[in-house]
Order: sequence, then structure tokens, then C-alpha cells
Amino acid sequence: MYLIGNIALILGIAISLYSLAANIIGIKRNDRKWLESARGGILSLAFVTSISAFLLFYILGTSQFQFKYVAAYTNNQLPLVYKLAAFWAGNAGSLLLWVFLLSIYAAVIVLNKKKQNNMIPYVSNILLLNMLFFYIVMIFNANPFEMTEMIPADGKGLNPMLQNPGMVIHPVTLYMGYVGLAVPFAYAIAALLMKKMDAGWIKLTRRWTLTAWLFLTIGNIVGGWWAYLELGWGGYWAWDPVENASFLPWLTVSAFLHSVMIQERKNMLRTWNISLIILSYILSLFGTFLVRSGILTSVHAFGDSNLGTYFLIFMGFMMIFAIYVVITRYQLIKKESRPIEAYFSKESSFLLNNFILVAAAFAVFFGTMYPLISETLTGTKVNVGAPYFNKVMAPIMLALLFLMAICPLISWQKAVFDRFIKSTLVPIIVALLFAGFLVAMGVKGIYAIIGLTVTVFMFNVHLAEFWRGIKARRKATKEGFIKAAFQLTRKNQRRYGGYIVHIGIAVIAVGVISSNAYSEEMMKTVNQGESFTFGNYELTFNELTETQEKGNGIVAAEIDVKYKGKSNGTIHPEKIFYGTWPEPSSEVAIKTNWKEDLYVVLSSWESKEKVTFVVKVNPFVSWIWAGGILMMIGTAIALIGGKTSAFFKMNNRQAGVHA
Amino acid sequence: MIKCSLAMIVSIILIDLGFDEKRVKANSKFDYNSKEFQSIINQLDMQGHADHDISTCSIKKVYYEEVIEALNQGQSEKEILQSYIAEYGQAALRTPAADGSGIIAWITPALGFLLGAVIVGFGIKKLTNKNGDKEAVPFDCVEMTETEKEIVEITFEEERRKHF
Repeated sequence: MYLIGNIALILGIAISLYSLAANIIGIKRNDRKWLESARGGILSLAFVTSISAFLLFYILGTSQFQFKYVAAYTNNQLPLVYKLAAFWAGNAGSLLLWVFLLSIYAAVIVLNKKKQNNMIPYVSNILLLNMLFFYIVMIFNANPFEMTEMIPADGKGLNPMLQNPGMVIHPVTLYMGYVGLAVPFAYAIAALLMKKMDAGWIKLTRRWTLTAWLFLTIGNIVGGWWAYLELGWGGYWAWDPVENASFLPWLTVSAFLHSVMIQERKNMLRTWNISLIILSYILSLFGTFLVRSGILTSVHAFGDSNLGTYFLIFMGFMMIFAIYVVITRYQLIKKESRPIEAYFSKESSFLLNNFILVAAAFAVFFGTMYPLISETLTGTKVNVGAPYFNKVMAPIMLALLFLMAICPLISWQKAVFDRFIKSTLVPIIVALLFAGFLVAMGVKGIYAIIGLTVTVFMFNVHLAEFWRGIKARRKATKEGFIKAAFQLTRKNQRRYGGYIVHIGIAVIAVGVISSNAYSEEMMKTVNQGESFTFGNYELTFNELTETQEKGNGIVAAEIDVKYKGKSNGTIHPEKIFYGTWPEPSSEVAIKTNWKEDLYVVLSSWESKEKVTFVVKVNPFVSWIWAGGILMMIGTAIALIGGKTSAFFKMNNRQAGVHA
Repeated sequence: MIKCSLAMIVSIILIDLGFDEKRVKANSKFDYNSKEFQSIINQLDMQGHADHDISTCSIKKVYYEEVIEALNQGQSEKEILQSYIAEYGQAALRTPAADGSGIIAWITPALGFLLGAVIVGFGIKKLTNKNGDKEAVPFDCVEMTETEKEIVEITFEEERRKHF
């Protein structure tokens, strides 16, 4: 297996090099045979990478501790699902996952006969360059099939914090998002290399970009959910450098997804769109660089990593290459395009939206890098933690929410102000009434109230848009409400899918604002049988038990919960002592209802009869997960049925593009 | 199994040596639930352990105890924070200082935002048809070419299909 694994990796380099060369020769000589051979090379590369990936799964699943990677991240007691998930627990495995996903994406591109065009050799070469880099790093620095000198009886095991369903979903989805961004990047660069200045590459990559964005969304939401359940500090987003690194491309791709609509309709912002997709791709490499370089302190960083230099060189190379291509084609890109008809138009509002999203990305990037900048320039060590980001990002996000509220009401080309005011009136009145209600109820915190009011305004606007569409449809077709709503969404999935995503963001915003502003915490030491009250909850500590399970010691407290005087069941916060891990881990007990989470951590104990708990009440946190699900549904709707606008079709027809 | 039991015993001892809200409360004015305590602790980086679970993080526990002790000795929030800054520098806190070189951290995003706003403002001005706002109708149907007519027809057809 050692031989198969290593031969597969070496073959990966050889096939990548061959396919790159075959594509270049094929393009130079305009020879179909060479291009077909390169295509075959890419398919074989997917096959070879799959062999490596399945082999790694196999040795992890069967606990073959003669392999360093298996011994470092698994042990005999580990459940099979986490043995397999250890694939991406370390550096070498995560690099193999990256190249595996990329090879599958590349194979899908060359296999899709419907979308075959003369851009494919260029696109595949850029993807091959990425794969070649990852193969070289694996062979020379992070080989997942490296052997141990002596076979240990058992492995070190997986960090207990990684033993959570989040480990199965979060890294894979984030990687699928990161890797997915290489595809639109490759198409954009290919279009530039071929001097195709139309929006053909946007049409070809719309689904790829949206899919990458969807996976980044899932990855970030699941990551937050995992942190909330597993880390025991009661939060879901710590503005950790690596979390920020996954948020950055999400922001820039969000901007891109909006600005491409202007290019489709107006053939404008071509340089901007290309720059955004290049930036998004570079930021995805930046995230990988951050995890592996160790230049910034992060809970996500791989401890034994020295791969930062490799990634820095590759990132620098790709950035310089992309900038060179853009600069040398700039005059061609800057072709005459249709102007915006009026200042007050959807086009202008999309430009503002792009500006705010990019400003948010800049603020996050600057805050993330500031400790390094400060230490380099002034020699002063500083931290830039959650309080900084909360203060800096709050006004930017508020502006974004406000823009999301008014954008759907502004027409393309030229909006009529009176009509805009008329459409805004009801949503804004409802939002102001909501604000008044909050104040009347004694809710404190002016910033939180403003944030919630703008969120409600945004939510109302989108609801009103659905309502207006359904009403118009019912008037014309006499359909029932449900059918009209369904048909309305089905007939324009891209638009209404987008609206559902916006509604999801509003729901998330409620959760984020409320949990940041109104979260409460207490630490309480209680004796057996003693009760204490916290908010609407009454908690009674029944008993502390000690059990053994799969070689791990579990200390669990049993607590009866009453909510507003009524029994609300029993919870069991736990502390688990792993046989192979020095630190115990907390298993948080959570009681969720629609408006708040009761979050209980078993903190410490003097004896079986006297225990200390950390109790938190986090309002509306479940809305964050619900909003995340809505975002996924909305994106899926837009993804399945999105159609390209008539303007774009005509533009392409006129330009002679038959992609 | 022996290894596991040892780890468990050691951990139980460590946890037991941890903090106890009642022990703290017994002879003191401030405890872990005091607003003053929360305000200070939320500003401290605790050597990168600020977001760790208090029940399993020994460094965070030390900070908790030190802050409580300082508060109960009558030190103010400012004095406590200052003592940490004196010991660890600005890195003791979770945010850069609001004066000196730290101000750069706070104003750069705002400056970036303003600069971006100016650029986008100019961009919109440059990209916008100067007479667009004055025109009652975006284009004159009489002067349309065949291609433009085709575009308009397709757009209308698509819009009609979109809604129904």
C-alpha cells in the first residue's frame, strides 16, 4: 500500500506535467490529438487521485499504524466515521483532499460534452497548474503515505474537539467552496488569454461560482454550529484568523454574484468582475496559507506545519500571473459598454452593494493581518479579537442590510422615485412599529434596536416582493395562493431564489444581533438537590455520575429544567476524559426553543454533591442555523433554475459566441 | 485502561482545584457574575485563551482568579487592565489601543470605506448616462434597429414568461 500510495502521488505529478505539455502543444499546433490526449490525462489524473484518496480512507479505516498519518490522527477506540474523517485532520490529508476535489472538478469540466469549447484546454491547464503544485507539496513535504520507523501499538487519536459531526461536514464543504473558486478563476484567465472579452466565461461558470459560494456558506454556518456545540464558550464565531480567511472569499464572491448581473445586462464592469474572481481565488489560497503558515495564532492552524512558504510562493505566482494577464489585456477589456441610464437604478445600487461587500472584506482582511503589520512596522505585539471586529463590522453590515432592503425595490435602468417610496412605505412603517414595540417592551441597546429594525425592514421588503408577485400572478392566472407562489418562484428561480437567500440573511442577522447584545451568563455552584433560577429557567441539580465508555471516562450531571414554571425535561452536561488526550472536553447541554437557547456547561466539582455550572441564555441563536438552511434552499433554487437574461443571450449572439 | 483512568484522575484533581463560585463569593464583594468582572474579563486576551471553555482552560482560570482578587482588593477596572498592559504590553487586551500607533487599526477601515465611497461615487458618475435622468423614455422606438427591436421583443417575452 505504501508503494501504491506513493506511486499514485508520483504519477499525479507525471500526468499533470504531461497534460500541461500536451495542452500547450495542442494549442500551439492547433492539434486536436494533443488536446484529446491532455483530456485523457486529466481523466487519468482524476482516477489516480481517487486511488490515493480511497487508499488513505482505507488505511485510516483499518487503523494501519505503520503509516505516520494514521498513527498521528487516529487510534483503535475512535469510531469509524471519525477514523475516516481524520482524512482532513492533518496537513497531508487535507492537501490530498484539495487535489482530489480539484481533479474531480477538472474531470467534470472536460467530460461535459454540452459545454465543450475551445476554452477547455486553457481552463484545464490552469487547474492542472494548481494540482501540480499540491502534488509537489505532498511529495516533498507532506506525504500522507509516509511510514513510521516503528509501528506503534495504537495511534495518538483524534483531538476530542474534532470528534463531532461538524468534522464530517465543515472541512469538506469549505474545501469544496475553496476548490470550486479555482474553476471560475480558470475560466476568467482562459478568456483573457484567448482575448475573449465577452461574458461567455460568466455564463459557463455561473453554476460553478454559485456552487462554490453555496459550499462556502454551508462550511461557515456548520463551522459556527460546531464551535457553538463543541467549544463550550457559548459563541459561534470568534473572528479567528482562519475563520476570517473563510469569510473573505465568501464576501468577495457575494459581490461577484451581484456584479455579474450588470455584466450580463449591460456588458459593464468586465475588469471589475475579473478582478473580483481573481481576488476570491487568491483569498481561497490565502486561507490555506494562513492555516499552514503559523504566521497568526489560530485554533484552526495545523500545529506541525511548515508549508507556509510553499503557499506564499504559489499564491504570489498566481497573483502576479493573473495581474499580468489582466494588464496585458486591459485595453481589450475596456471596450465601449452601455452606460447606466440613471443614478437611481438597480445598476447603481449593485455597485454600492459591491462596494460595501468589498469594504467589509477589506476591514476583515486588515483586522486579520494587523497584528502582523503592527509587529513588523512598530515591533508592538497587539491582538485584534472579536470586540474589534464587532465594532468595525457592525456599521458596515448595517449598511449592507439597509442596501439589501432597498435594492429589490429599485428598478433596472431607471427607477421612479415615487414608485420606490410607495413600495417602501408599508415595510418601513412595519419596521418602525416593530422598533416602537421593542422600546415599549423595555428592550435596551440602541445599536441592537437599530440593527433589528433595519433587519425587519429588509425582511418586510422581500416578503412584500413575494406578495406583489403572487398577487399579480393570481390576478392574471386565477391560481390559488400556494400554486401562484410556487409558479412565481419556479418561473424566475434566480430572482426569487436570491430573495430567499436574502430572507435567510435577515433571519441570521436577528440571531447574530440578539445573541451579541442580549446574551446572559452566570456561574453557579450548587449542592445536590439544590435549585437556582436564571432568567425564565429554574434548574435543579439532581446528581453527578461517572461512567466508562469506549475507553473514555464520562462525568455527567443531571439537571431538571423548568421553563416559566413548567417542566422542560432533563439535561446532562458532561465532561469527557479521553484515554489518549491530556485535556478533558466539555459536552455542552442545550435546551432550545424558538427564541432562546439554555446553554449549560459542567464546569467543576468539589465532590459528587457539590458542582459548579456555567449557564448562559443565548437569545435567537437557533435563528442563525434556520437562516443558514434558508440560504441553502434559496441558493439551491437559484442554482437549479437560473437562466441567463435575454440581453446576455443577445449580446452573445451578436458577438458570435456559441458556448 | 490504566492510562485512561490516570488521565481521568489527574483531570478530576485539576478540575477540583479549579474555581468555585461560592468559595469566591464567601468573603468578597465581587464574584464571577459581577458586571465589573465581566467587563474586565471581556477585554482581556488571556494569552489567546479568551475564547476557550473556562472549565477546561487552566490559563483562563488563573486570569479569572487574578481579576476577582484585584477587584476585591479595591482596584478599579482601569488599574487592573493597566497592570496587565504593564506586564504583557498591548497584547494583554483583545483590541489595539485607541491611541498611539493603535489608532491606525481603528481608522484604516474607516478611511478605506471613505476612499472606496469616493471611488464608487466617481465610478457611478462616470458610468452614468448624463442625460439619462432627464429622459422620459429610455429609447425612442421609432429609431430602433432590427437587432434592438429583437432584443426588446425577447426581453418583453422573457419578462412575460417570468411572471406567468
